[in-house]
Amino acid sequence: MSLSKQYGVSIKTQVKSCSNGRDVDVITLIGVMVSSPGGYGAPPPQQGPGAPLSYSQAPPPNRGQIYGQPPPQQQYGQPPPQQQYGQPPPQGYQPQGYQQPPASYGQPGGYQQGAYGGGAPPQGGGYGPPGGYGAPAPPPGVSQELWNWFQAVDQDRSGKITAIELRQALMNGNSTPFNEETCRLMVGMFDKSKDGTIDIHEFAALWKYVQDWKGCFERFDTDRSGNIDAQELGNAFRTFGYNLSPQFSDSVIRVFDRRGMRTINFDDFIQACVMLKTLTDKFRVKDTQQRGVINIGYEEFLEMVLDNTIMAVK
Amino acid sequence: MLNRIFFYPFIRIDKDRSGSISGNELQQALSNGTWTPFNPETVRLMIGMFDRDRSGTISFQEFQQLWKFVTDWQNCFRTYDRDNSGTIDKNELKTALTGFGYRLSDRFFDILLVKFDRQGRGTIAFDDFVQCCVVMQTLTSAFRAYDTDQDGVIQIGYEQFLTLVFNLKS
Repeated sequence: MSLSKQYGVSIKTQVKSCSNGRDVDVITLIGVMVSSPGGYGAPPPQQGPGAPLSYSQAPPPNRGQIYGQPPPQQQYGQPPPQQQYGQPPPQGYQPQGYQQPPASYGQPGGYQQGAYGGGAPPQGGGYGPPGGYGAPAPPPGVSQELWNWFQAVDQDRSGKITAIELRQALMNGNSTPFNEETCRLMVGMFDKSKDGTIDIHEFAALWKYVQDWKGCFERFDTDRSGNIDAQELGNAFRTFGYNLSPQFSDSVIRVFDRRGMRTINFDDFIQACVMLKTLTDKFRVKDTQQRGVINIGYEEFLEMVLDNTIMAVK
Repeated sequence: MLNRIFFYPFIRIDKDRSGSISGNELQQALSNGTWTPFNPETVRLMIGMFDRDRSGTISFQEFQQLWKFVTDWQNCFRTYDRDNSGTIDKNELKTALTGFGYRLSDRFFDILLVKFDRQGRGTIAFDDFVQCCVVMQTLTSAFRAYDTDQDGVIQIGYEQFLTLVFNLKS
């Protein structure tokens, strides 16, 4: 009870407080993606995150059912309605899951956990510890710590980070480098100036984003294996409010499984969640009657999926 | 049996003499005619298409087909690059795709141009053109698989849609 309540409440809080930028939760995380500039053309997060807004809209009566969940409120990527949480949460959830204080989210303290994002720059050979550059002072509004990270990632000292530099700085839990696609995806999302690179201010947002995802990933990696299997992924999707079959989680794992271990890494987890969110949003736009089924023409279809192809991901 | 025509480019491209070609080696060997690095996504697409044994690299056998693919596309690209500029503009793209049998609105060509014009010049270079064509082909055949009555409209459920997109393979 407490758990479910807690979580329900935390979503609410989040929706409310989103405008003042506190209390980032899993759902915001996904909200941020959508509302983040570069990638999807939506307004930047500060100006009223697209997602929460739409969550709070009252749904037309009668639009539920299709996706299988009783109460009509939220079909796709939205937080599931409260009473759902009354059900016993899947095993393994409680301890790590929701009782975790949201401390690591959205607070400057989060940055101190070097482990986020793989920690390649500071420890990685050759980079030297952050700050070891004797670098110039950070620009106004940027913490020294973040500035050090930025400079460690910005290998050519151009003041801009490319997707390639970002990739070299990020690591999965199992020490494999991030996949290029996820790096491009993230650069695209945070590159407000649309020059294909990330400056220090854009980097601040991106870095926080990666950390938030890291926290999220760890929540769902209930067996602490450093990667996510089909069941854990299913739990994650369910918690995000998606009503999808176990077969779907299985197929996502198959798509991203790079080592034949039936699991996916942190980077692919981000990518899968971002894709799921964008595709769901696009589907929902077409599904005007909320039936869960759409009729679309060829060109409409192309337009919907053109940006979401992960062909040849392996 | 070693094919001489292919042997030369293969050893030239296989810089580390490993006996197979990596994505980086392939990228360095390919030119899009604009002095910018060859589109890495196109490279990945091609490796995905021809790396039959899923080794992540291209063996000599696989390379023969890949190289034929590249030269075929080069020839194709040249025929549509009417003004020999090394890039194709919207009209040339339209002629090309229409020639391949696609029926698309004028507005959609604008979308394609924005999506595949990596250099922001309003035109599409060779590498981006290949990417564009492969993506179009993949998406079209995915659509066609659902369009059983061939009327250009499909009915698709939410999870079906997601599964389709997540599983797109070139």
